[in-house]
Amino acid sequence: MTSYVSRSLTRYYWERARRNRLAVGGLAFILFLILLALIGPFFTVDPTAANFEEKNMPPLGFTIEESVYDLETQQFTTKSITGMRQHPLGTDNKGRDLLAMIISGARISLLVGLFATGIAVALGTLIGTVSAYLGGWTDQILMRFTDIMMTFPFFLLFVLIVFIFGPSLLIIVLVIGLTGWTGTARLIRSETLSLRTREFVMASKALGASDSRIILAHLVPNVISLIIVIATLSIPGVILAEAALSFIGLGDPSVTSWGMVLRAGQQNLDIAWWVAVAPGIMLFLTVLAFNFMGDGLRDAFDPRSAV
Amino acid sequence: MKHKLLEVKNLKKYYPVTGGLLSRHLGDVKAVDGVSFYIEEGEALGLVGESGCGKSTLGRVILRLEEPTEGEIIYRSTDITKLNKRGLRELRKEMQMIFQDPQSFLDPRMTVGQSIGEALLIHGMKDDKEREQRVTEILERVGLEAQHALRYPHEFSSGQRQRIGIGRALTLNPKLIIADEPVSALDVSIQAQILNLMLDLREEFGLAYLFIAHDLSVIRHVSHRVAIMYLGKIVELATKDEIFQNPLHPYTEALLSAIPDMRQKKKTRILLPGSVPSPLNPPPGCRFHTRCHRVLPVCHQEEPNLKDIGGEHLVACHLYGA
Amino acid sequence: MEKTILSVKNLKTYFFTKRGIVKAVDGVDFDLLKSECLCLVGESGCGKTVTALSILGLIDTPPGRIVDGEIYYDDINLLKCPREQVRHIRGKEIAMIFQDAQSALNPVFTIGDQIAEQIKLHLGANNREAKARTVSLLEEVGIPSPEEAADYYPHQLSGGMKQRAMIAMSLSCDPQILIADEPTTAVDVTIKAQILDIFQQLKETRQMSLLFITHELGVVSEIGDRMVVMYAGKLAETATVAELLNNPKHPYTAGLIRCLPDMTQVKDRLESIPGIVPSLIDPPGGCLFHPRCDKALAICSQEEPPPVTVDGEHTVYCHLYSH
Repeated sequence: MTSYVSRSLTRYYWERARRNRLAVGGLAFILFLILLALIGPFFTVDPTAANFEEKNMPPLGFTIEESVYDLETQQFTTKSITGMRQHPLGTDNKGRDLLAMIISGARISLLVGLFATGIAVALGTLIGTVSAYLGGWTDQILMRFTDIMMTFPFFLLFVLIVFIFGPSLLIIVLVIGLTGWTGTARLIRSETLSLRTREFVMASKALGASDSRIILAHLVPNVISLIIVIATLSIPGVILAEAALSFIGLGDPSVTSWGMVLRAGQQNLDIAWWVAVAPGIMLFLTVLAFNFMGDGLRDAFDPRSAV
Repeated sequence: MKHKLLEVKNLKKYYPVTGGLLSRHLGDVKAVDGVSFYIEEGEALGLVGESGCGKSTLGRVILRLEEPTEGEIIYRSTDITKLNKRGLRELRKEMQMIFQDPQSFLDPRMTVGQSIGEALLIHGMKDDKEREQRVTEILERVGLEAQHALRYPHEFSSGQRQRIGIGRALTLNPKLIIADEPVSALDVSIQAQILNLMLDLREEFGLAYLFIAHDLSVIRHVSHRVAIMYLGKIVELATKDEIFQNPLHPYTEALLSAIPDMRQKKKTRILLPGSVPSPLNPPPGCRFHTRCHRVLPVCHQEEPNLKDIGGEHLVACHLYGA
Repeated sequence: MEKTILSVKNLKTYFFTKRGIVKAVDGVDFDLLKSECLCLVGESGCGKTVTALSILGLIDTPPGRIVDGEIYYDDINLLKCPREQVRHIRGKEIAMIFQDAQSALNPVFTIGDQIAEQIKLHLGANNREAKARTVSLLEEVGIPSPEEAADYYPHQLSGGMKQRAMIAMSLSCDPQILIADEPTTAVDVTIKAQILDIFQQLKETRQMSLLFITHELGVVSEIGDRMVVMYAGKLAETATVAELLNNPKHPYTAGLIRCLPDMTQVKDRLESIPGIVPSLIDPPGGCLFHPRCDKALAICSQEEPPPVTVDGEHTVYCHLYSH
């Protein structure tokens, strides 16, 4: 007789997700990023500390030739600069340590990703489930509202707000969060519509459950897996949005984000390529990591791929 | 003298069909079109019909899971179609439902104990220990064990899930259970187990059943009286013995002859031509006339009424002067 | 003595999953004779569908795999055949009807097109010939106005009509063997009667062999010549339908028959078989049915019962008869 261990659905899904190596790799990278963001700042210098003496230094192990105009001899001489251990990733044109800036950027990206996505997904789930469950006029009104929000020019709104209030991280998070819920609302609504006709919802109603109880205790838990997948796959978009805004100069100047570093690096791409490449690679890997993890989770949650 | 527990009078459920640019009302799907019957305390009424006849819709409307378009539903002397929200909640303690699909009628995210205990929670039993005890009681009564309360539906077989479903329906001590095809999705040997359980529970708790099914042999086993439904209307209603030994309506005859029975070799079988017409546009006159093997001219024009032709055997058919 | 057209010997199909090896079919033998209807009977999970899929090479590999056995179609071992040959046989010589007509028919093509495609593919006919044949097939399965019906899409047909269309499609290349997987299970009683009638007709007019998979004994009694009862991936009993239904030897078969609500007499309680089907990953030792058997002997939990021939063609796999 086999001994029986009761397994909750969560553990079951976790065991399935574990098998997807890319997803696990993605998760590992994200954990690394989180670690970096939390502990990194204690081990690096202030990312905003400018030091013109050490500007445009290459990363550790690289040597570049820099041509310098010598005022005395009125000639160009080439000087070779080698990377120093104090600045393992090099410095930008103001002498700021690139590693510190990258770590700071990691923190910003994760914060923005977490909070903006959190707001967007929470809002989207609420609107989606209520709309689908109550149906009728409520559904019509909420969905037309969603359509309007979907076509809303988020970028123009953002420029306007920055113009009025000045740029800040909080504004970025709020604007992305309050305009980014529409896709989630649609997806959650369609999932809820199909759940609504499942017999267990009818059974609950027959037992006397109120509408709010059905939505909160039955519908939402059954869309949780969808929410997790949506959230995981939304985060990279949010991170890229923030990076883009900072890149064009609308970001919060008081914090160092990857977009900002990219902006600085773009100007000196010919003489200090590492300043742009470092945040570029980080963004690329982060987006990839979340996408892999999101795909892995989606596959794990899909009952049809079960054996 | 048994009392009437439930009486349904001229119940209708129409689903409006709209179409066109301005959403004009094109017509109605007449899922239930004037159904009347009663169930006594402790009695089991079998409701038989093929897919699309409206039997499941009827079950849901009686429980007011869907609102009736017209008609009265009288439970013990109260017309429950007129109940407000509070009254409806109280009603839940009297009438419950058992569902068909074991893959779908339990919330996959809740433990069995939570599913069964939900009714208790909704109706005020806040104390965890008390609920746990009652859940254990019920689990044991339906043939499972106390430790099953901690498990999830996907860990059980179809038959066990149906036991859980039945247990859930019993938590509030209802007097009437509407069973919507409870064994159709189960294997034969498990069907027998579940049917026996339902019969035992009926005896123990004095339950009345509205047993909805498409399988006549199962109906025969559990019912006292049987109603045959076709395209939204009841075409025949009588005691079980009468229906099986003395079927009057041609549709009932066809249903009985269609059953593959291994104990008697079928000599002649009545094959109904075509298929069930759409409930959006039922045929004029008697709805069954397009497929009837004993059709008369009057059947094309007038709809027959459900009439008692003696001994409480009701039939809606012109052959019997209805 | 009719010729054997299909011979399955010691078929074993296992599914290799993370939780363990599921022995869906574990040593099944039977023969299908020309022009006969053999019913493969059993409850859900007994392996009857997997057996049919194995014959046609439709098992998903991975995770499934036919690990042992031979399947002879007319002296050709289908399991040792090159893929091309099996593909040629599948569809043309051996056809299958699946349980769910809904999902077997492609919703974006008319039924006429779908049937004609089969005909053109396997018989190399041109459009005109294929169309003519399609119409005659639709007529054969009893679809009214077959000329017009050929232009209907699946969603325009009722359940019974879809079922017939699927049967027509499977007949399109005049197969020698038709495997039908629970064709009457998901339909209403009156449609069931119609479908069984069609099969009866087909058996008579086409001299086709029918491998009919079902769990309904009533259906078996109507259409079957011989039957094979399966339980948890193994055989329980084989005999002619008349013999087995009147004289079941295996306790499982006997139990199944007793479970049925009887139309001729009303009983107070239905007899049932206690317990549930065992796990196919971790089966009990010996005879798989022994935990639920009221006649189990000591040996039943240790050794698997060998086949015993009782009365001519009646074979039982049960220790009660092996001494």
